Amino acid sequence: MTQATLADRRVHPGAILLRFIQGAPSVVFGLPAALAIFSKRGLGLALLAAAVIGGVMIFMQWLRWRSFRYGVGEREIVIESGILSRNRRSIPFHRVQDVDIERALLARLFGLAKVKIETGAGGKDEGVLDSVTVEEADRLRAAVRAWHVQAPLAAPPDVSGAAEAHTPVAVQPEPHLLFAMDVKRVLVFGLFSFSLVYLASLFALLQTFDRALPFNIYDPARWVGLVEHNLPQRFTVAAAGFVLFLAMLLGVAAGVLRTLARDFNYRLLSEGSRFRRERGLFTRTEAVIAKRRVQLAFLSTGPIRKRFGWGGLFFQTLGAASDASGMQAAAPFATRAEMEPILAEAGPFRLPQLSELTMVSSRHIVRAVATSVGPALAAVLAASTLFTPALLLLLFMPFLGISAALQRRHHRYDLHADLLFITRGVWRQQLWAVPVANAQAVSVSRSWLQRRLGLATVSVDTAGAPATKGARIVDIRRETAEALAAEIAAGRRAYSSGRKSGTDR
Amino acid sequence: MTPLDKGQLWVMRIHAAALSLILLLAGAAAETVLRREIALPPGAILLPLLLAAIWFTFLAPARRFRSWGYRMDSEELQVVRGRWTQWHTVVPLDRIQHLDIAQGPLERSFGVSRLIVHTAGTLHSQVTLPGLTRPIAEAMRDEIRARIRQEAS
Repeated sequence: MTQATLADRRVHPGAILLRFIQGAPSVVFGLPAALAIFSKRGLGLALLAAAVIGGVMIFMQWLRWRSFRYGVGEREIVIESGILSRNRRSIPFHRVQDVDIERALLARLFGLAKVKIETGAGGKDEGVLDSVTVEEADRLRAAVRAWHVQAPLAAPPDVSGAAEAHTPVAVQPEPHLLFAMDVKRVLVFGLFSFSLVYLASLFALLQTFDRALPFNIYDPARWVGLVEHNLPQRFTVAAAGFVLFLAMLLGVAAGVLRTLARDFNYRLLSEGSRFRRERGLFTRTEAVIAKRRVQLAFLSTGPIRKRFGWGGLFFQTLGAASDASGMQAAAPFATRAEMEPILAEAGPFRLPQLSELTMVSSRHIVRAVATSVGPALAAVLAASTLFTPALLLLLFMPFLGISAALQRRHHRYDLHADLLFITRGVWRQQLWAVPVANAQAVSVSRSWLQRRLGLATVSVDTAGAPATKGARIVDIRRETAEALAAEIAAGRRAYSSGRKSGTDR
Repeated sequence: MTPLDKGQLWVMRIHAAALSLILLLAGAAAETVLRREIALPPGAILLPLLLAAIWFTFLAPARRFRSWGYRMDSEELQVVRGRWTQWHTVVPLDRIQHLDIAQGPLERSFGVSRLIVHTAGTLHSQVTLPGLTRPIAEAMRDEIRARIRQEAS
């Protein structure tokens, strides 16, 4: 029991070729290509250089493969790596939160999978096995799961060897499908994922290769010239409209393709104490979300999506989230009725009715107007001293006022027993459902303007929250804010004392 | 709310004075260089800087000092801070992951130290409470530590 786990396994030899192909194009072809362009020597030399570099890289990958060993013990996974300085890392099972299996297109051709052992330490994967056979990946995950089933998660690691004393619990309940998206659903979702970001990145890509292009795409004279040439004296609204339409079309296409690649055959399963999510067209990823690590539920929708009854459900989890936003997708495009069973499985969650929620103070409008119209007005007035027609921009001012009023309509909150609900956003309509028991520090803050208006902001900090968009209620009356903060604190205290008396028995 | 120890006021003043001095020196250098190049009335840079430095050194620290406050009971640590935007943060003691006591050389000579508590959250994952006398800071630390241990058992 106390003897060290042997690191006696290597990843699949196919990984040498796999990693070589992944890294090859940039170095093997990029370097000689650059050489060929700059030295003006023949193609033969470039090919020779490519062959030499390729050979060296395969040798390096082989060395890396040879030096990388891992082993699975009774209570830990051990990874040894390093060509010159050996590094031995032990990851105890009780610290493993997720075992993710990722199958990229290339790896699938080889029948391999990348295994990521996630421990939630600073958001980095501590153990990555790149790559092993699919069966080996399943075996690894089964080993971790078997341990978690036998030993309660909360139990501290015991060194005494008492693990055998645990009565083996019945096997995990049969996994059942909670939510799935067919191709049609994914395509509709793609239509709503309109994005100009990919268009922008296309331009960025063009910029990097603009030497290779026969013209400079950033030469405005060229574009203006083109337009003048093709549409003499007709650089009209129609032409501008066409360009805009084309950009929109490309944006929609980019959104659909990206969504299709990411969410193709999306499946969310419930397996006892965890959710399992599988998705992806080219790269098939499998992720595990432990239910007890769910800190809060987050819903996001838009005005048009909402009209059709669609929205996205996400979970904020303790530790590292694989999504950049800090949230784990549970059902990215679903109806309310589809979300409810998922929420019921995740914990003490439910969805509120809009009528249950209270709008923030009407002075929220005053502050929103002051912070949006004020600077805009000053800018327009300053501009009008130089260019009088700028005053026409004042016509847009009422819209700022209207949007401020809309902001308040969409910013609502309610503390309902042990759940705090917050909604916010006109275009991106967000809903947080925070179990009071998961609250960390609770703050009431008052800026200069808020003090003048008698308002305050309540921020509820939770573990794993994104730094900028945590759960906040902006602009409620000071007394209400203080009462609410006290109520949240009291609710949390009641939970923690209840839990303690529960464990004391 | 309990105000901070008076020693912290002197720490803040000396900090502000040192910063003001650097600012004034930089201003003086900028003025001598600029006056060689363009016609500038004497003190065009230095005078506003001097006024700012006086406010920054003699008036601001006391106001900043007064904006701080704390209270700790058996359940929570409350910290009040900020002059422009005022924050009132409530940290549940059983949510504290770990805690530090820090003391710089200037703070040591005035007998104050900082208590820093860390939670698992993100926005206020770290709450710093400066201006505690060493015995008070240590007493608070021991109390929180006992609380964490009790929670873990």
